Amino acid sequence: MKIIACCKIVPNEEEISILPNRELSMTGASLKISQYDLNALETGKQLASETNGTMTALSIGPAASLANSKIRKDILSRGADELSLVPDDSDECFDSLQTAKAIAGALKLMEYDVVICGAGSSDLYAQEVGIQAGTLLGIPVMNNITGIKVLSESTLLVERTLENGVEALEIPLPAVLSVSSEINIPAVPSMRDIMKAGKKPVNELTIEAKTDASTQTLEQLAPAAQDRRQEIIEGDGEEAVSALVQFLKKEGF
Amino acid sequence: MAIPSIFIVSDNYSVLPEFCCGAKTLADSVTAIVFGDETAAKAAANCSADKIIFCPVAEEGAPEDYASAIAAEIKAVPNAIVLVNNSIRGHLLAGKISVYLDTAVISGANNLSVEEDKFICSRMVYGGTAQRKEIFTKPYGIVTIAGGIFDVAPAGGETTDIRAIEGAPEGSIPRISRNEKKEGAVNLAAAKRIIDIGRGLAAEEDLDMCRKLAKLLDAEVGCSRPIAENNKWMPKACYLGITGVQVKPDLIVTLGLSGQVQHIGGINKSKVIIAINKDKAAPIFKNADFGLVGDMYKIVPALIDKLS
Repeated sequence: MKIIACCKIVPNEEEISILPNRELSMTGASLKISQYDLNALETGKQLASETNGTMTALSIGPAASLANSKIRKDILSRGADELSLVPDDSDECFDSLQTAKAIAGALKLMEYDVVICGAGSSDLYAQEVGIQAGTLLGIPVMNNITGIKVLSESTLLVERTLENGVEALEIPLPAVLSVSSEINIPAVPSMRDIMKAGKKPVNELTIEAKTDASTQTLEQLAPAAQDRRQEIIEGDGEEAVSALVQFLKKEGF
Repeated sequence: MAIPSIFIVSDNYSVLPEFCCGAKTLADSVTAIVFGDETAAKAAANCSADKIIFCPVAEEGAPEDYASAIAAEIKAVPNAIVLVNNSIRGHLLAGKISVYLDTAVISGANNLSVEEDKFICSRMVYGGTAQRKEIFTKPYGIVTIAGGIFDVAPAGGETTDIRAIEGAPEGSIPRISRNEKKEGAVNLAAAKRIIDIGRGLAAEEDLDMCRKLAKLLDAEVGCSRPIAENNKWMPKACYLGITGVQVKPDLIVTLGLSGQVQHIGGINKSKVIIAINKDKAAPIFKNADFGLVGDMYKIVPALIDKLS
């Protein structure tokens, strides 16, 4: 099977600094593969190995992020045979539909049986892009997949975990699947994987999917510090526990 | 000022009264789209919507198959905001409908308001590092929301304007089986008191101790992401945070929880936060009203003793 795993390159949210005016500064934040896309890459790797197929990783975003050789190597060390990139500097604040249109545009230039997406990106976490991309292409889409079994060259049996149950669905291919982070534990690339990654092909695609944004950001600020009382007591003895009980009583609990 | 029209799309009847009632404060007209037959729609008639359109999902079908029919109903008005409940099916519906209406989805909004005819959505981004305020620039906009964002008591106005959807389902994916989970899903978003467990918990068996404390305090039990996703000690539906459940109880007691920004973003609307953690430097103490720096394995049993 020909598998495409989508992965987004995002700033490491733990390294974003907050300026005194509560605006965010990304300058000190390193780039990383969006956390949930590690599950997508792992799923793609396993599916490719099971079907003697291939996996191509696909990433869309600002050219400067995609040019980062460390990230490219990181993606390729996770089981992808090659990496396709769509540099797009037109708008760094892609909304979910713009991203989906860019992915759908790239997919039109590629061959695939299954497209795998993560649950959502760790920066914006819309959880919609895979669904939108598949819908734009008019092929089956399904989200929160927690298991995949190959039935034939053109059908997968997937397990989808809902809030109140689990369903098994027969997905005709080609299709786009968003996988839950529960589906696997992404393997840490070995030294050999990392060495091999440097030799794998990277290609850039040019697409014609320029679209208008559907949303406009008015403001983006770190949450104002909540006024907390911070009555902190050190100790786990009788007195400390009594103080906690007193506090609970005083608050009416 | 209000916008003209809001559509509510929900695969869960229990959030309808809250969503409709909240939407009534933002829009002139509220239409609820529900999944079920006419009888079920009539049973939901007191949800405060002006109109109800029901999608009679067949036994072998699924709510998401109605996405294009729902989009066609929405297109009958010149512009509208669509609020979809933040469930897995809800996300699938939202994504499909957004393509048919050619607009983006703003996911997991935690505040909605109308200012100068603009519909403003706020939500957390970058794992809770910032709150982003956005507006739609197209005639239609789709927003997914969880229960608990509207502070309104349902008024219970009964609607008689109930009809079946005009379009038919399409694009159905064959379902081989469906297993309903037996245990009732905990509604953390609605809980008044929560015990919130973090990685300070050494073993799965120790959950019993936490549950005992929860029972004494009449609280539900939630946890951090690693407890649910890495350790799998609790269901995924129980983890609190920006990518999990966002809550605003009267009381939350965190046990062995460090307080990463992603987690704090999900609990910082709680009225009172109590923290118990060995690590004095844990960020949770900056976000707590009352904290004990100490061993939860000494504190929790002693607390259970005192409260019993």
